[in-house]
Amino acid sequence: MASPRYDTFEPEPRPGMTVLEALFQFQERLDDSLAFHYSCRGAVCGTCAMLINKVPRLACRTQVETLLKGGLKVSIVPYPAIEETVPWNPQEEVLVEPLPHLPVIRDLIVDMDMFFQHYRLIEPVFKPLTDNAERERTMEPAAVKKLEVYTNCILCAACSGACPVQGKDPRYLGPAALAKLYRFHIDPREGGTSRLKTADIPTGWRACEFFENCSRVCPKGVPPRIAIAKAVAQLKKEKKRGQLNSN
Amino acid sequence: MKRGICTVIHRHDVLIIGGGLTGLRAALRISDAGLDGAVVSKVHPLRSHSVAAQGGMNASLGNLEGEGGTKDSWKSHAYDTVKGSDYLADQDVVERMCRAAPTAVIELEHMGMVWSRLENGKIAQRPFGGAGFPRTCYAADRTGHNALHTLYEHVVGRKISVYEEFFVTSLITEDGRCIGCTALEIMTGQVHGFLGKAVLMATGGFGRIFNKSTNALINTGDGQALALRAGALLKDMEFVQFHPTTLFGTNILISEGARGEGGILLNKDGERFMERYAPHSVDLAPRDVVARSIEQEIAEGRGYDGGYVHLDLRHLGAERIVERLPGIRQIAMDFAGVDPIQDPVPVQPGQHYSMGGIDADINGETKLPGLYAAGECSCLSVHGANRLGGNSLVETVVFGSLVAARIIEDVVNAPTPNDTPAKAAIKSVNDRIEDILRRKGGDRFFNVRDAMTATMSDKFGIFREKQTMQDGLNEIKKMQEQISHVSLQNKERKVNQALVRFLELEDMLFLAEAVARGALAREESRGSHKRTDFPERDDRNFLKHTLVGFRDEKMFVSYQSVTLGTFEPKERVY
Repeated sequence: MASPRYDTFEPEPRPGMTVLEALFQFQERLDDSLAFHYSCRGAVCGTCAMLINKVPRLACRTQVETLLKGGLKVSIVPYPAIEETVPWNPQEEVLVEPLPHLPVIRDLIVDMDMFFQHYRLIEPVFKPLTDNAERERTMEPAAVKKLEVYTNCILCAACSGACPVQGKDPRYLGPAALAKLYRFHIDPREGGTSRLKTADIPTGWRACEFFENCSRVCPKGVPPRIAIAKAVAQLKKEKKRGQLNSN
Repeated sequence: MKRGICTVIHRHDVLIIGGGLTGLRAALRISDAGLDGAVVSKVHPLRSHSVAAQGGMNASLGNLEGEGGTKDSWKSHAYDTVKGSDYLADQDVVERMCRAAPTAVIELEHMGMVWSRLENGKIAQRPFGGAGFPRTCYAADRTGHNALHTLYEHVVGRKISVYEEFFVTSLITEDGRCIGCTALEIMTGQVHGFLGKAVLMATGGFGRIFNKSTNALINTGDGQALALRAGALLKDMEFVQFHPTTLFGTNILISEGARGEGGILLNKDGERFMERYAPHSVDLAPRDVVARSIEQEIAEGRGYDGGYVHLDLRHLGAERIVERLPGIRQIAMDFAGVDPIQDPVPVQPGQHYSMGGIDADINGETKLPGLYAAGECSCLSVHGANRLGGNSLVETVVFGSLVAARIIEDVVNAPTPNDTPAKAAIKSVNDRIEDILRRKGGDRFFNVRDAMTATMSDKFGIFREKQTMQDGLNEIKKMQEQISHVSLQNKERKVNQALVRFLELEDMLFLAEAVARGALAREESRGSHKRTDFPERDDRNFLKHTLVGFRDEKMFVSYQSVTLGTFEPKERVY
């Protein structure tokens, strides 16, 4: 990997311009080799997470002007990947870098393979308790509300890029995969054995150090930290019960 | 690696081009039949445009009663769909979809998809435009997101092959049969060959040929262009849906669910103008009717400066907005700085959906043997001249599954394709890419794209007329010529997004011509196709599908009859 290079572009301003729009301007008018991921431009597809002013965010949802005015402040616990790389003036410039903790392919494109490997590892497939297919299963609206908090995840990996533990250990399953696993765990339609055991490994629930950066940067308000804390507590309880039973 | 020297050919039983709801649903069915299907997609499947679908999926579950205690049925769903289509939909295909819709929704539920629920625990349904019952099943305003993630989870669970970020560059044919495709691996720049006994096109719409579109930036109609070049036909391409409520400024979709929940449209004078245009259905008239009404209000000076009206949700109250329309609220706040709880949302019509697409029969078979199509890229046709909200999601999963079923039957007798045509196809694509990269000078191709999207919106928008359209077609022809001279600065093979966007533009200009030719030839007004010079529907001459083909480097237009059925064409009143 070549050492990183920084270029400065000056976009033609437009009210409400997002970082993604600015990147397109650069690509289309100045340097068509500039590489970045994009798709929906409406903050639903999770493609364009990058490090913007040292915070992982979706480029399509982050407005340039608001940043320059000092808005969109997110307070996160510092970690090596967001240490100063290059000086910049936040009142006049926006610093855009690739999402941390994943290998850079080119410019702002990172390799998401590891992220999705973790996703696959938690077996994100619904395992229903009953399955006689003719009819819909019923579900309490309140249960849907609890689930939605986690199904809203768009797998953009902003949380992973903000997670100090992920930075230390790429094998850590990370906030997104763990939140996904928790989503299946609390689905009342699921049954059988506890899902929590799947991540009851050194690189799973237990690796979390509760920095809470994940929840703070999530563009969809998903709180992996809460999921992980609940899972850890429940596993502890189960273990205690197991010990009591065996005594 | 030397440029294009290494030849990689992948073999699977079935190739599925596109990883949205249609493609993934088909992939699951093909895998369940014990066949080896592979998904080839220019983006990671979860980044497909299906993920952005908000409002819901129509199915006559009948979980809520209609007016006067009546119960919904597939027949009512079919009637609404046919009437909504301005009688251009093929009624046998509509019947098939509406009968299968409830099962498709329940299947997703069984796969683990999270739906919003009624108090009694059943899947929640809401009213949508042009529908006689509250029929639209939803997951708040993130129905597409929940559905796509669920299907993808199962694709992962079944270990189905997915070729991510492979941009398909051509279809491979042998003896008049489609046997595969070539694709550019975007990250490495290498062209691969893919061979299969059947190819399913599931690449979505082509909204990005217009400059105001709700579509993802990736919706460039690659599948339609590939199919047309390979010898399939396109059908009803002039029928382009303009959604009435897209956010002013970015044209991000504001779901019809917003009006389904009770939102109303107001002009600059604070008047609920839809009462004048659709006295019975008012704000929930079908999309073509509402989009035209807004456009007319704006044209007659009753819109706000810049060209928009207000969508008012305030009377719904904070609780209902937060519970039923959380995504819409977030979009309005993020992209327009407006909180719908406190202020009305500025909206204007924008391109939203392509009713037309690759001509395919009730089983998804195209005129090119071996090639199948389903979902938005196809035209079977269930939407006719105007699609009802909530019918596109149901189309994706119903026909993703049914067309896969036909493929499963057909591949038993399909020949095993040969390597030779694949090698030739790879070479030809490599030559073409090298040729593009070698070019020097000329205009920036992004300027051509901007000109194209402006021409399409200005001259093939909500109101159309012969002379402007003729001018538009001439401009498009000129642009097609122009882009053979433009060059890219980026000459590399690896991660060359400019190259991908150039190839997309070639496809889009090709499709723009198909839209233009279809629109010019259809001298009537029907559904979304409104001609100011031919303001009435003309069943005697135009109750038929437009077909566009491509032969000897020329596009030609022909027609095909509509399959009628139970529902006789009547005047459409809402």
